[in-house]
Amino acid sequence: MDAADRRALSTAGLVAPAVLAVAAFLYLPIAASGLLAVLDYHPATQTFRFAGLANIAAVLGGDAFGRAAWNTLVYCLVLVPAQVLVPLALALGLREIAGSRTAPVYYACLFAPTLVSFSVAGAVWLPLLNPINGVLNEMLTALGLPPSRWHTDARAALWVVSLVAFWKTFGLNLVLWYAALMTIPKEQIEAARIDGAGFFRRVRDIDIPLASPTAFFILVTTVFTTLDDIVGIIDVLTGGGPFERTTNLPYLLWQRGLVFFQFGQASVIALVTIAIVAILTWVQFRFVERRVTYA
Amino acid sequence: MRDASHAGRRAAVARALVHVTLAGASLATVFPLVWMLAAAFTPNDLILARPFRLWPESPTLANFAAAADAYPIWRWLWNSIVAAAAVTAGKLALSLPAAYAFARGRHRWRDAAFGFVIVTMAFPTVMVIVPTYLVVVRLGALDSLPALIVPSIPYIGFYVFFFRQAMKALPSEMFEAASIDGAGFLRQFVDIALPNVAHVVPALAAFAFLGAWNIFLWGQLTLGSVETKTLTVGVALFSDIEGAQSLWGPLMAVNCLAILPVLVAFLLARRSIERAFASR
Repeated sequence: MDAADRRALSTAGLVAPAVLAVAAFLYLPIAASGLLAVLDYHPATQTFRFAGLANIAAVLGGDAFGRAAWNTLVYCLVLVPAQVLVPLALALGLREIAGSRTAPVYYACLFAPTLVSFSVAGAVWLPLLNPINGVLNEMLTALGLPPSRWHTDARAALWVVSLVAFWKTFGLNLVLWYAALMTIPKEQIEAARIDGAGFFRRVRDIDIPLASPTAFFILVTTVFTTLDDIVGIIDVLTGGGPFERTTNLPYLLWQRGLVFFQFGQASVIALVTIAIVAILTWVQFRFVERRVTYA
Repeated sequence: MRDASHAGRRAAVARALVHVTLAGASLATVFPLVWMLAAAFTPNDLILARPFRLWPESPTLANFAAAADAYPIWRWLWNSIVAAAAVTAGKLALSLPAAYAFARGRHRWRDAAFGFVIVTMAFPTVMVIVPTYLVVVRLGALDSLPALIVPSIPYIGFYVFFFRQAMKALPSEMFEAASIDGAGFLRQFVDIALPNVAHVVPALAAFAFLGAWNIFLWGQLTLGSVETKTLTVGVALFSDIEGAQSLWGPLMAVNCLAILPVLVAFLLARRSIERAFASR
């Protein structure tokens, strides 16, 4: 065996554990979801029976699915732009005052909630939002405003969940934006300023293009977190209610599969979610990544 | 001259506005955490009587004691630490060698395998949960920490990607010199690649720890009995008893416990995180 063969063997050996782990724990379950979607589970006997399209019909025919899908869309439309643009604005502000004594304090404060887990984030906000004796209502009353029922109000609940989700996640994007902005050469920005380009022109023509790989990374990962991770907040804060106004597809999946043991229906919801993620990811790579300029 | 001083004044006003905005945003952002800290050390009846405060009133540890009476929170803390450390170690053990081989190795299938691993970054956890749960049930592993830990490790896409970038950025002369000195491919991993990316490992370890610490949905499923829960999962039990009893103090005490170790991990890894994301 010559050196090249040995190197190929070593390469395969070092990569094998990672590839096998990913195959067994990530790819195989997806394939299994496809199978489970057409099976019916009987908890009493712990057996599966072929169910044909019954699960798909049960999921797509029910009202709950439509509501959860709609809420998922609303969460995305509200949270993705907020999670991308607000941290950008804050990072631009931090860059303007970089070097000042208070800048690290702002940075630490804004990042702090990122360390809180989703369920704990929900639990931290519960007493603040409490409709009877919560802090937020106390503040509203002090300002002479009417109190709100917050997460227990059918019209406000989704916004409250979104607010808590935003609070918990925007810090990570802030860190990423800030790191990208700080690598842009000062001379380039200064030159544009001397040429008479205003603040927004400079952001649009210099910062965004030069930070575009980071911008794209932020966009893609934010879509994933919005779809995936807010379940913990929903569970602690609202349990999907009131009247399923805050439930999303992953939460519906969880309820169907693991509260009601409808594994087939849960798998159908998983497959729909996979399809949505795949389409969104494809759209982002197809239409957005073309505008990204890699250094 | 007048122009310059006018521009200077405008810049000063702009800076002041930026400061005011950032200070306002910072205060609003940390307020819930400050409130949590104050409530955790304030007697529960005082919180219920007047919820708004920024500093503990008649400071006490009674909330921690009350929480420990209701649930085994110290056990949960220990479970959380074990689970998060094990997942972090597992992710590093899988991703570092693979990243090295993807960066420096030679194999016909190398790039295809890299794509295969990287694409999993886009897999939402919910889509693998149901089949994995059924397998865990079949194995009789439900209600044990390994059931939480083992399936959480293979989400390594980002780690492999990041470490590969870091290793590709190392000058190839380093590896060639080692090769001339007689170091083989595996020896170069240990002697050259690992020491030279060691400074960014704590950063990724901190993020892996944070991710594992925060596992909620999968923990809800696999850790059914009270004894085996982690803090992140156990917190949900406290929020269930809201309403009549309103144990805000004990709940905030548990939240403090749930945040503290992650805070420590990030403070320890701070330098590494700055280098990991700034040296792109």
